[in-house]
Amino acid sequence: MSGPRNRPVPSDAAGASSPAARAGAPDLAPPAGGLVVAARGIHRVYEVGEEKVHALRGVDLDIRRGEYLAIIGPSGSGKSTLMHIIGCLDSPTEGTVAIDGVQVADMDETRLARIRNERIGFVFQAFNLLARESILENVALPLQYAGVNRRERIERAQAELESVGLGDRLGHRPSQLSGGQRQRAAIARALVTRPAILLADEPTGALDTKTGDAVLALFEEIHGRGTTIIVVTHDPDVAARCRRTVRIRDGLVEEVA
Amino acid sequence: MILEHMRSATRSLWGNKLRTFLSMIGIVIGVGSVVAITALGESARASITSQIAQAGLETVTVNVGRRPGAAVERLFTEELVDKFTEFEGIKAAAAVNRSNAQLKAGEESASEQITSATPAYLDIFSLEMREGRFVTEADMLERSAVVVLGSELADTLFPDGGAVGSSVRVLGSSPKQLRVVGVLETRSDTFGFSFDSGAFVPRTSYLVRIAKPDRPDSFVLWADPDARDVVETAAELQAWFDAETGSENAVRVQSPSTIAETMSGVTDTLSGFLAGIAAISLVVGGIGIMNIMLVSVTERTREIGIRKALGATPAAIRVQFLVEAIYITLAGGLAGLALGMGISKVASGFLGWDFILSPSSMAVAVAFSAATGIFFGLYPAARAARLDPVVALSYE
Ligand SMILES: Nc1ncnc2c1ncn2[C@@H]1O[C@H](COP(=O)(O)OP(=O)(O)O)[C@@H](O)[C@H]1O
Ligand SMILES: [Mg+2]
Repeated sequence: MSGPRNRPVPSDAAGASSPAARAGAPDLAPPAGGLVVAARGIHRVYEVGEEKVHALRGVDLDIRRGEYLAIIGPSGSGKSTLMHIIGCLDSPTEGTVAIDGVQVADMDETRLARIRNERIGFVFQAFNLLARESILENVALPLQYAGVNRRERIERAQAELESVGLGDRLGHRPSQLSGGQRQRAAIARALVTRPAILLADEPTGALDTKTGDAVLALFEEIHGRGTTIIVVTHDPDVAARCRRTVRIRDGLVEEVA
Repeated sequence: MILEHMRSATRSLWGNKLRTFLSMIGIVIGVGSVVAITALGESARASITSQIAQAGLETVTVNVGRRPGAAVERLFTEELVDKFTEFEGIKAAAAVNRSNAQLKAGEESASEQITSATPAYLDIFSLEMREGRFVTEADMLERSAVVVLGSELADTLFPDGGAVGSSVRVLGSSPKQLRVVGVLETRSDTFGFSFDSGAFVPRTSYLVRIAKPDRPDSFVLWADPDARDVVETAAELQAWFDAETGSENAVRVQSPSTIAETMSGVTDTLSGFLAGIAAISLVVGGIGIMNIMLVSVTERTREIGIRKALGATPAAIRVQFLVEAIYITLAGGLAGLALGMGISKVASGFLGWDFILSPSSMAVAVAFSAATGIFFGLYPAARAARLDPVVALSYE
């Protein structure tokens, strides 16, 4: 792994209550300014045949630790593209990104996979749970890729599912759960590795208003425990519940007061 | 980690039982034939080896070849026996003639071959006596009217026992009466000749009572492997005859080793040919596996995307699919092992061979199927590992 592992011990309750998650992380000072995302001059150009689609045209974005941020914009404006780059699923055509103080621009797939595993938790509109596995196995999966032994994986996955209110559904397949329960399982899976950032792309998009509200309430609770959350949405009601909002327009971001 | 992959492979293959089974069939047949062929080959070899051991590793036979010619008529005389015994590496020799005869003892009768024998004959074939004695020098000198019976023939003619001391009549234009002096120990067939159903008469007596051949049919020699390699002795004798007769086909010298070489040459060719077919069916089975793995990778593109988002490295994805491919082929390989063992057991039964379950054919089955899984699973696994996470995640 290149770069310093600037993973501060958070002062919040969540970090303190699960020392195992931080075991092995050196006790270093937070990065300058406490920036968990530092994106500079991000361009992303898709080449479709002869045509070039400029999805992002020089995005600068700083996100501080513990922020609860909404990225809004109409459909096709580049929200998902930006989220994929922040989440290290995609690399910018141009520009640099530092996640949790680590430059990821020149990393190969293997190192990016490690960053995703250790520092980022994804929540998708379509839940993206593995249909064949129980939700317990689903939640334990990121810990498998982190090299945690099976007993500890199961223990931690179970604790995480209990904390999102699914302690009595451990052996259920995703198909045996409601949409709201599935999204809560997906959130548990995103959080089980104690990531620096929770990235959610239209997390309420597939849910009715009531269950969507329940998911947003859960986000607030998670944010309250100190986790940085970035929600991508086209829904102003969702954005209204976040502490800070940026809008994407013409491939650039602007702050919304 | 491997355990985890095996768990996930089990779940994914179990979720598609019919497809898993169908994609396995090629491997089952391929490995099954590999196992059957190697096992049968070993059974055949063992059967040949045991026949050679029965025949005696020290026996060399001299037969008239396909085109005898006048030279053979001149060479094949009783005096040749003395020449043979002077030969380096030969301890004893005997001229042999055989004729068919109807034998009768009381009410019982049998139609079998009478063979001329000398005392050396016993040593040459390492025969053992069940009762009585074999032909002696005294029998030779006196041309005694005696006979030694094979165990089976003795039991046929004397079902109530008491063969030794009794009389046997040889039917014909002038019937002969022979006194039984011994019965041979039972011995299984050696290359088509059965000692058990034979009757052995002192050669001197044979020539006056049983038949008056122009010359010996063949000679049997007792080679001494301590003095000289038996194959070498046989080769030198062959060369001597070829020179004397001026033809390569006049006289044929054979040792059990040369017979074994011929026979194992045949089985080697045959099993080589069958192994080729087996290899082809393994390749076909492997391509089936590759096809099913490619389908599986495409179907599970989204799953791969999810796993990558959660932190799966390309190596982890590659191993996952490779384990799955090896899993199918190994399961197919084990089923093929059972099938091949079944086939070779039944076939050895039909052919009268011993069924040999060799660890090597089992190892071959496991190794071949795992290798097939690795070889044909590598490309689909690499394809899965290379998938772009974003593209994979948005796959419908
Ligand atoms: N893989 C791709 N290939 C080509 N064009 C793409 C691809 N992904 C996104 N785009 C284009 O980039 C722009 C931004 O897409 P996206 O980030 O998905 O927008 P949003 O999430 O805001 O709806 C759109 O014009 C879209 O068509
Ligand atoms: Mg989108």
